[in-house]
Amino acid sequence: MARKQDRIGEGYGGEIALQNTKLGYGKTDLLQRAKEKGFVQKAAVSADEAFDGTIVVKDANLWYGSFQALKHVSVEIPNHKTTALIGPSGCGKSTFLKCLNRMNDLVPECKVDGSFRIGNRDIYGKIDVNLLRKNVGMVFQKPNPFPMSVYDNVTYGAKTFGIRKRSELDEIVETSLKQAAMWEELKDRLHQSALGLSGGQQQRLCIARALAVKPKVILMDEPTSALDPISTGKIEELCKELAKNTTIVIVTHNMQQAVRISDRTAFFLLGELVEFGDTEQVFHSPADERTSRYVSGRFG
Amino acid sequence: MNYAKGKEKAGKIAFMAMAIVCIVAVVAIFVFLTVRSIPAFRKIGFFEFLFGDNWASDRYDVYKDPLSGSYGIFTMIVGTLAATVGALLLGGVTGYFTAVFLAFFCPKRLKKPLSAVINLLAGIPSVVYGFFGIVFLLPILSTFAPNNGTGLLATSVILGIMILPTVVSLSKTSLEAVPLAYYEGATALGATHTKAVFSVMVPAARSGIAASLILGIGRALGETMAVVMVAGNAPTYPTGLFGSFRVLTANIVMEMGYAGEVQEDALIATGVVLLLFVLLVNLAFQAISGKAVEKITRKTAGKGRRNVLKEMRENLSYPLHLPEVGKGLAWACGIFSAVALLSILGFLFWKGVPTLIQKPSLLFGKYEFGSEDVTILPSIVSTLMVVALSLLIAVPVGCMTAIFLNEYTRNDSVFVKIVRTAIDILAGVPSIVYGLFGMITFVRIFTGASNLFAGSLTVSIMLLPTIVRSTEESLKSVQAGLREGSLALGAGKLRTILCVVLPSALPGILSAMILSMGRVISESAPFLYTAGSVLSGMPKGYFDSGATLAVALYRLSGEGWYMQEAYATAVILIVIVLALNFLAEGISSALEKRIKGENNGKKTR
Ligand SMILES: Nc1ncnc2c1ncn2[C@@H]1O[C@H](COP(=O)(O)OP(=O)(O)OP(=O)(O)O)[C@@H](O)[C@H]1O
Ligand SMILES: [Mg+2]
Repeated sequence: MARKQDRIGEGYGGEIALQNTKLGYGKTDLLQRAKEKGFVQKAAVSADEAFDGTIVVKDANLWYGSFQALKHVSVEIPNHKTTALIGPSGCGKSTFLKCLNRMNDLVPECKVDGSFRIGNRDIYGKIDVNLLRKNVGMVFQKPNPFPMSVYDNVTYGAKTFGIRKRSELDEIVETSLKQAAMWEELKDRLHQSALGLSGGQQQRLCIARALAVKPKVILMDEPTSALDPISTGKIEELCKELAKNTTIVIVTHNMQQAVRISDRTAFFLLGELVEFGDTEQVFHSPADERTSRYVSGRFG
Repeated sequence: MNYAKGKEKAGKIAFMAMAIVCIVAVVAIFVFLTVRSIPAFRKIGFFEFLFGDNWASDRYDVYKDPLSGSYGIFTMIVGTLAATVGALLLGGVTGYFTAVFLAFFCPKRLKKPLSAVINLLAGIPSVVYGFFGIVFLLPILSTFAPNNGTGLLATSVILGIMILPTVVSLSKTSLEAVPLAYYEGATALGATHTKAVFSVMVPAARSGIAASLILGIGRALGETMAVVMVAGNAPTYPTGLFGSFRVLTANIVMEMGYAGEVQEDALIATGVVLLLFVLLVNLAFQAISGKAVEKITRKTAGKGRRNVLKEMRENLSYPLHLPEVGKGLAWACGIFSAVALLSILGFLFWKGVPTLIQKPSLLFGKYEFGSEDVTILPSIVSTLMVVALSLLIAVPVGCMTAIFLNEYTRNDSVFVKIVRTAIDILAGVPSIVYGLFGMITFVRIFTGASNLFAGSLTVSIMLLPTIVRSTEESLKSVQAGLREGSLALGAGKLRTILCVVLPSALPGILSAMILSMGRVISESAPFLYTAGSVLSGMPKGYFDSGATLAVALYRLSGEGWYMQEAYATAVILIVIVLALNFLAEGISSALEKRIKGENNGKKTR
């Protein structure tokens, strides 16, 4: 496990995954820029396979110390689709999600095996974790805007990868806020603290912040559980819009939400993936008895 | 290796380096003093030193020949213990009842201002307390004392006042932490307010109150200047309430300035004995305060409600009228504390402010050798210089150490535990011990004579524990999701720390900085033999010596010719320290607000 912790800051080795497509904001190519400034290796950019947001997990197991939180999970999450993860509390949904951008690296006694590939790259292999996280964005249960202005929140990721020019940053802010459908409400208060926003606005800002680095995949862990119905509606709208060119994996306890926004649904129980299929099918004609009992609200 | 990775590495190395500096400083104090005290123990003899009751130092003593002086510190050990007990009897008891008063009997409107006044008194420099003792307490005592009033009684009173804020604030906190359900349960059983307080609430907070008293003991043991000014300092046993005696800290202050070879090592050994006392107190505090937390959680969580009620019934059945007496005492002590503390300030201001107005030369005059008029302008400059340099050293080292401990290491690793313990212990070390350390290291290394640079270095080590601890507190209170949020955007650890974590922790760090400033300004014991203690002209640089304001007050009051000037200096000191306290409070709450975005005007949905 010590070895795994070391990996957090490492992985600038030869092969670098996930950064092959053009990440363009007009003339701004995030990766090109990052490369010029030495933030990533040249090889990273020259790889030219078309990257996509397909996630393929084979026989994944995960332990927190001696407790096994994921058991033999295999799943293929399609590109540019929304996949919902459902299941009772403690079944390992968040754990699975955090495997996909390696946030589990932060848990000292966490051990992972199995194969995780995103865009046909082994994300537990020799890759740059920071680049992985840039391409696989995450939105958390509790809105977590940074204690700085709206503007600085949105540009945080871009600045991380070396963009400093004001005009480029302005463009990024406008594009991302528009994508998150909050440009109109925020354009006059870009330089006020993000913490002054309402909970729903904060959560959408966090989504905009994630969008600003052009991720291929967005992971959402119960993004609406702390919000009121109206804000929830706005975020669901947003998800539908984003799904057109991003892969979305969303954990939710709200069955209706899963039905409303997802194409695929995965049902977890006690660390196992019980069922995975079209949302329609999982909710209306589940193959597994346990799924059926869960979606009809008989346990969980 | 590329740029980003290199930066991460460099960051980590920088943080670690500062942590190592910090640890080395901590370890150096213990090791250096211990090693330097060994010759004294050898030559004088362990038992003769600890239990001999004759201290007659001879500055021409050398290790080669038989001793011509005599070095036994038992009188001082007894003196220290006696003064501590005295302080505990006066300040501890008053503090205890004041805390009960504030927690349960004080009218709501008075509670806040009273607590604030008592807290402010924690920041007043010890020389000011000592000075108050000289000009107010001793004259009163001398009307019925066989001597000029110095001795155990005066020392206990002054020390008692000094430990009062410590005892009150901690006791009050633990009294207020007792679950309200206890109180409700007791009154539901028919107890009066007073009875509920004394038979249920106070016993429930017992361990916390004990911890506060122990902290008070620690402060009393280590206090130097205030005691030096009222104890008399003859190396004899304290006999009765009056009569000159000497405590361990005073021994160092009195003789360090002109010590000879053996004498100096004997003084260092005195410092080591003092360290041991502090270590014991620290252990006791750890044990008891740990228990206090454990007890409250166990009582509320583990024990069923029924058991708690049963215990209450037993407590309530004491057929004593003590609670009513306690109520009276709580009121009396609460009022007494407030009056006593306000009268100190009132008295000093009443005497000092007119001088400030009549003699502006005190503040702005130019120093002239041999002149009758003193000026404290050089002292103000020296103070500023020391404050600036010591913060410049201590803040980066302390903050970076805290960052390393909190962000880069695992909380449960043995290494971190050792470092934390060492820092905790260092926080309780009496300031005179730092002065001693600074004198035998920094002063000797640099110019050989006292200089502002050595003084700044000495006091910056003294500041480290506070800065590390409070920075760590602020880092721990940074909202949990922020670090993850930053990492999830692909930011590295260093960027996360610098751009997200640190700004959130800034209010706490800033207020710690300002309080450290206050501490540097109010300390005098660490400066006497490091920065210098002679009132002279403007310091010409950091390698010149200079007396800080607090040291100047000690000098002015000691000679007796400059009482008016001393009053004025005391006023200036008090004003500066109190202003800094307010500033710390103000800045941190303003920043807190800005970070939370509260002054953004209207919030939109
Ligand atoms: N850092 C950790 N250390 C140890 N055990 C953990 C850790 N995080 C999660 N677990 C355990 O792993 C299991 C799965 O947790 P996880 O958070 O993935 O559940 P979840 O499905 O997201 O539940 P919820 O719906 O409540 O969010 C739980 O039993 C949990 O107690
Ligand atoms: Mg979860």
